[in-house]
Amino acid sequence: MITEPQVAEVDRKVEDTKRDAFIIGADDPILITGAGGFIGSRLVTRLLAFGFRNVRCFARSSSMRTAVASLSGRRDNGGRIQVVKGNLLSSEDCADAAKDVAVIFHLAAGRGEKSFPDAFMNSVVTTRNLLEASLRHGCLRRFVNVSSFAVYANQHKPRRRLLEESCPVEERPELRGDAYSFAKVKQDEIVTEYGRRFGIPYVIVRPGYVYGPGNVAITGRVGIGTFGIFLHLGGSNTIPFTYVDNCADAIALAGIKLGIEGEVFNVVDDDLPSSREFLRLYKQNARRFKSLYVPHLVSYALCYLWERYSTWSERQLPPVFNRRRWHVDWKKTRYSNEKLKTQLGWVPQVSTPEGLRRYFEACRDQGSYA
Amino acid sequence: MLKVAIVGCGKIADAHASEIQRIKGCEIVAACDREPLMARQLYERFPVRRYFSDLSELLSEARPDVVHITTPPDSHFGIAKRCLESGSHVYLEKPFTLYEDEARRLIALADEKGMKITAGHDDQFGHAARRMRTLIHTGFLGGRPVHVESHYCYELGRSGYAGALLGDKRHWVRRLPGKLLQNIISHGIARIAEHLTGESPQVIAYGFTSPYLKSMGEGEIIDELRVIIAEKEGATAYFTFSSQMRPSLHQFRIFGPKNGLALDHDQETVIKLRGTRFPSYAERFVPPVVFAKQYLGNLITNVRTFLARDFHMKSGMKYLIESFYRSITDGTPVPIPYREILLTARIMDLIFGQLDVHQRQAGAQDRMGGYIAAGH
Repeated sequence: MITEPQVAEVDRKVEDTKRDAFIIGADDPILITGAGGFIGSRLVTRLLAFGFRNVRCFARSSSMRTAVASLSGRRDNGGRIQVVKGNLLSSEDCADAAKDVAVIFHLAAGRGEKSFPDAFMNSVVTTRNLLEASLRHGCLRRFVNVSSFAVYANQHKPRRRLLEESCPVEERPELRGDAYSFAKVKQDEIVTEYGRRFGIPYVIVRPGYVYGPGNVAITGRVGIGTFGIFLHLGGSNTIPFTYVDNCADAIALAGIKLGIEGEVFNVVDDDLPSSREFLRLYKQNARRFKSLYVPHLVSYALCYLWERYSTWSERQLPPVFNRRRWHVDWKKTRYSNEKLKTQLGWVPQVSTPEGLRRYFEACRDQGSYA
Repeated sequence: MLKVAIVGCGKIADAHASEIQRIKGCEIVAACDREPLMARQLYERFPVRRYFSDLSELLSEARPDVVHITTPPDSHFGIAKRCLESGSHVYLEKPFTLYEDEARRLIALADEKGMKITAGHDDQFGHAARRMRTLIHTGFLGGRPVHVESHYCYELGRSGYAGALLGDKRHWVRRLPGKLLQNIISHGIARIAEHLTGESPQVIAYGFTSPYLKSMGEGEIIDELRVIIAEKEGATAYFTFSSQMRPSLHQFRIFGPKNGLALDHDQETVIKLRGTRFPSYAERFVPPVVFAKQYLGNLITNVRTFLARDFHMKSGMKYLIESFYRSITDGTPVPIPYREILLTARIMDLIFGQLDVHQRQAGAQDRMGGYIAAGH
């Protein structure tokens, strides 16, 4: 009969063996920006579960106080969680936060910004400040840049419908009409530029649509709620969901695995539902509402007309709907997580049916959509 | 071709660049921001010839005819002064300066150098605002204004601004004498200043921190303001700023001895308020019909303007910029008289002075939940 201490000893040895494949030791300092956010808080949990004991959480002063307070109070696995409050737009704050840090997980970004300059400032300038701070300290072993599927052009792909890491990124993101996409493309560019010019070791992680309790909105890839009706635009398209805990796992692995410098990883779960299946399940399990299906040909034509009108009218209507966006959000596309599995050994811990169940439960509790 | 430069490449600079590129006879020759990445992003998204991170380099190398200054307000005076001294006309975003004294010195410098300067009070030049001005000039009020009311509200909860401001104790808005109010209320105050005739109105200001902000741990920012403005022998005015009242109004009402007018900036409507009454019950039946007809007329005007591709969200800014450029190229009067710019600055000085004095009296008044004062 194996005793409990023996089981614990075996577990510890297994963890030690796993850590041999990591670039840092259990006590090396790790910095997480956006640690109080939707994904960031889960990432902290995952890193502690991996056995890392020196986690530094960067959060904007006064923001997300509850999440930060709950983080700072935790001591899982004897780990030390330090909460650093500051502003990533401040070079001094970045320098303080990045001091002695071995890995930076950079999750903070200008989400939800409609203004291009604001999104750019809160994604790109902040990233540059962190990279500069890392250079100054000279002890960084990896910079994990959390990007997004929004950076892909989803056109001219080598394997037709399949979107994978080698697919082209949007070359003219300013024409997408979406501040977030623009900022994310530029953020990726500055990370790769610092990698190339200054040798900063980096990995880029591009999650699909991250869902779960804490983010109960319906992704625009499914459709758009407008004037009291939900326009269902996704149809039979696969929606690139990733459950928040699975996404946090992937990000954690991207920060610690050996031998993946300069790589890009897309994050999507297995067994992804189609837009139509998702909407049906949503209506069954979360909330009923009226929706109108808009076929792909019609949505493409509408995007084209909107784009033309926007140009003709000198942006009397801003170009928020356009063909570039249609390609990214509503074109039929397949997704792969093969690279994530083979190079990082990632396995989704939460299955899609279970993830959706938890998501719908949260939606019911909040009683809102889109 | 008028050579234009934009200094400060944040959010409002986008609106400037968008509107400038719609105006014929001008070209954006340079964008400048002390953060080079910000200057570059504007340069990449708009037809801008060059970008700089140093103002001196911009002025000496691009040699712009006009500089649009869209930086945070505490830098307005210094940058505008350098631009005027180097021979550029200046379009200065609101608030014009931090203090009336700075505004006065800039205007004097512009006059001395033979340059022109204007304030970014573009809300006064939207379609409906211009229609209202025409009605006033044609005598609809029946004489000089008796009373005006200006509502200028801001939904803090809906904007990312609240998060950025409240989350950052070093945010530049906190450095302004009037903090949040200084960055927002000048549009609403400028509307009032346009219709005052005196130079030294009496101002009574009452401001407080809303329960919403208090619940977020904020005690420094005043986001509720009520002001009474009175001239000795002229018009009176009420000004309201609120982050909490709904609807979040941007309205202006002006009353003369005979009639009044109501302007809704958000809906782009101007409604005539008749001074005479209908006899007996007719007063209860006829006016609703008259108002319905007026609203229908506004709708038709708005649709026509939209179809004519002239209903952009910032159409007032385009009109103001065009008028300002015309004043430079054709020698026409500046679109906003300097007197109005100075009066707006003076009223704001008086408001913030009162709020500041009484905020510092802390203790007892704070426990009462507000600050109230009067002064010239």
